[in-house]
Amino acid sequence: MTLALDLFVNGLIFGLFYALMAVGLAMIFGVLKIVNFAHGEFYMVGAYVYVLVSMKLGVSPWIALPLAALAGAGLGWLVERTLMRPLYAGYGSWSIMKDEYAVVVTFGLSLLLINLVDKIVGPYPYRGPALIETSRFSVGPVMLNGQKLIAAGLSVALLVGLALFIKRSLWGRQIQAVAQNRLGASLAGIDATRTTSLIFAISGLLAALSGALLAPLINPSPDVGAFPAIKSYVIVVLGGMGSIWGAMIASLLLGVLESFFAVYVSYDYRDAFGLLILIAVLIFRPQGLVGERGREV
Amino acid sequence: MTLLRAEGLTKHFGGVAAVEQLSFGVEPGEILGLIGPNGSGKTTALNMLSGFLAPDAGRMWLDGAPMERLSPMQLARRGLLRMFQMTRVFARVCALDNLLTAGLARGLAEDEAARRAHELLAELTLEPVAYLDAAQLSGGQRKLLEFGMCFIEPPRVALLDEPFAAVHPVMRETMAKFIRRRNAQGHTFLLVSHDMPIVVELCHRAACMNAGRLIAIGPTRDVLRDTAVIEAYLGSGSHG
Amino acid sequence: MSGPGNLWRRRLATDFRAALAIVALLAVLPLMVTSPYTLGILIVSMYFAMLALGWNLLAGFTGQFSLAPAAFAMLGAYTTALLDYHAKAPLALGISAAILATALMGWLLGRVVLRLRGPYLALTTLSFAEIARVVVGNSHEFTRGDQGLNVPSLMESRVGYYYVFLAVLAAVLALLFMLMRGRAGRFWLAIRDDETGAESRGINVVRYKTLAFALSCMVCGLAGSLYGTFSQLVSPELGLLLQTGLVIAMVVIGGIGTLTGPILGALLVYLASEWMRGFGNVQMIVFAALVIVFARFFRTGLWGLASSRLATRGGAPAKPAPSSP
Repeated sequence: MTLALDLFVNGLIFGLFYALMAVGLAMIFGVLKIVNFAHGEFYMVGAYVYVLVSMKLGVSPWIALPLAALAGAGLGWLVERTLMRPLYAGYGSWSIMKDEYAVVVTFGLSLLLINLVDKIVGPYPYRGPALIETSRFSVGPVMLNGQKLIAAGLSVALLVGLALFIKRSLWGRQIQAVAQNRLGASLAGIDATRTTSLIFAISGLLAALSGALLAPLINPSPDVGAFPAIKSYVIVVLGGMGSIWGAMIASLLLGVLESFFAVYVSYDYRDAFGLLILIAVLIFRPQGLVGERGREV
Repeated sequence: MTLLRAEGLTKHFGGVAAVEQLSFGVEPGEILGLIGPNGSGKTTALNMLSGFLAPDAGRMWLDGAPMERLSPMQLARRGLLRMFQMTRVFARVCALDNLLTAGLARGLAEDEAARRAHELLAELTLEPVAYLDAAQLSGGQRKLLEFGMCFIEPPRVALLDEPFAAVHPVMRETMAKFIRRRNAQGHTFLLVSHDMPIVVELCHRAACMNAGRLIAIGPTRDVLRDTAVIEAYLGSGSHG
Repeated sequence: MSGPGNLWRRRLATDFRAALAIVALLAVLPLMVTSPYTLGILIVSMYFAMLALGWNLLAGFTGQFSLAPAAFAMLGAYTTALLDYHAKAPLALGISAAILATALMGWLLGRVVLRLRGPYLALTTLSFAEIARVVVGNSHEFTRGDQGLNVPSLMESRVGYYYVFLAVLAAVLALLFMLMRGRAGRFWLAIRDDETGAESRGINVVRYKTLAFALSCMVCGLAGSLYGTFSQLVSPELGLLLQTGLVIAMVVIGGIGTLTGPILGALLVYLASEWMRGFGNVQMIVFAALVIVFARFFRTGLWGLASSRLATRGGAPAKPAPSSP
């Protein structure tokens, strides 16, 4: 019984981390209808900035954390500014190459970032400094790792903050409007381009933060982004492409399911399990848990 | 025999009835106009008739044969062709290649397809742009090209979805002439349109929908004078 | 290009001639280049050229952006390797089996992803590729997992191997040319440009899409199988997403949607990458950057740029700039 509870709690915690990773991707899909294949690399950059700044500059990890977040936001904004404009330049234009362009460019960006970091910093994993030193303590019947707990707590705070931001703030509502109908939103006076920049910046920020938070748990190496990327894809599809709520629910669900699968079925195949879910969802219920069906003619 | 017949067609989205018990027929050789204010269900009806949407209830026949389960491809093979509101052409090949592909898709041999393609280019005044990629054609030229692709092999019935929307007058004239000429050769059309003058000019009969139901059908002039039809347009505030 | 030079048949003919020229050049190269090391590099670049042609059929001609080409190369290589390892099957059988197996798997994949477009298609094929790689890598009993399998070689002579690869490359090129000339090619292009429109004009989209998948995966599988016999070792690394990335880079840089582009891209990228090894391993950075630049600014790739230059020099008026990016 305690094993199951332990698995459940750990699954939830990982689910929270996944949520932080995946929510940004869901936002980008919601607005541009593309999958950012370089998403994992925002995570990686965040992890590296956190580790390098605190190690090389001797700065406290608590300061390195927001710096990593800023780096992610900046990178996201830069990517949107330089590479994403062709995706929506001109309404009613023959967006013939849209999907192809997005796949190729973000894939290329992913390769570029991985290899740049590999070259500049080196291919070997770093050890990320923990935010607090206490390693283990118990919460009720369950044993938890200090870093995990803080990371989980911060994740919850950020996710709640994001949800409130989207629902309540002016910018948040603009994001919702642009996600639903780009042309309509801009006719209503919303600067769709600036909103898109904002979304990319937020996406980068969240991914980078999750990279930084998890750096002590998953040591960063140049290809560390592959893991959160694949999780994010599964989650975004499972939750319903573009739905932030769906992504959050799907993250928790995936975290728990994986946790049980790894112990009761197979540890080696636990990552493949998520991919199977992705395929199954796309075939049988492509709108995901929360999303809506649509067919254009 | 009625060429295209629908009976009791119904489609609901969520709780809303987009189309409710729609029954009508298109007779061979006629041009039937399908009119109605915005949101009356014309496009949904068209999507069902062209195989893009499965009806919740009701039946449809093409040349007397049931067609509810047929896909757009199968319908095209049987001669039911459709033009789209957002013009669909193959953007990255030239206009002539568009016609050739359409001809081959309808089962023509290559040289026959080529011969007819050239004839159509001339008829549609598209010869100057024959070798330009379709992406470089103007909106009106693309619409004409789409006409050509439908007619490279005469269809049994052509379903046109707002072909005159946002098309400038000269192009409209070319398109109207094309429709009239083909109709004189015996081709049948179902024309969904907002453009009242064109409907009056081209359509022998008209069917008017409102809120998903058929409220009037008959000779065009009679339908346009029908009080229910006038109320439908005035009531919804749209300017047909 | 405007004018009859822009007709699909003509564009394809010019394209094919250029590709043949490259093949002819490759055919006489061993007369001048005898170092086994260099020949080996050329052989590997021909392997990539086949992968590139295969992926281009699916993505460039039919518009299906699959992320699984490397996975199918791996599956083809493993089919041959496993038949040798478990059943001591002769290579002729092993390679034929690889062709059939990957064609069948490709066809099945095509059926599975029929209704999926754009990012959904990419994600599903990516998942399939990763699952395949993980399964192959973890089945220690059956495949020896990460250790890989040894494969016998077709022949001793490296020059001989060179010409085997070249012959297969030429055969694949010829097959693709014949298909693209006829109805299949036109229908694939139509599916790429407007799938809904293609369907509503009477094109059997299901049949042609699955056919494209089957052929594309078969070409990748054949290339993988041959490569396995050449390197005499197959491992799950053949199916890494990185390899797919490399193939995509080659096609995009060379010119997507053509016959010459993939071959040109594969040769240039792989040869350049070998050349750059001396400069501190920056090749992936350079190629990734090039992919981005080409995708952003030079859609038609190197071959596209070259062929439109040829057109203007030939006297035909240059194609007016497209009205939208």
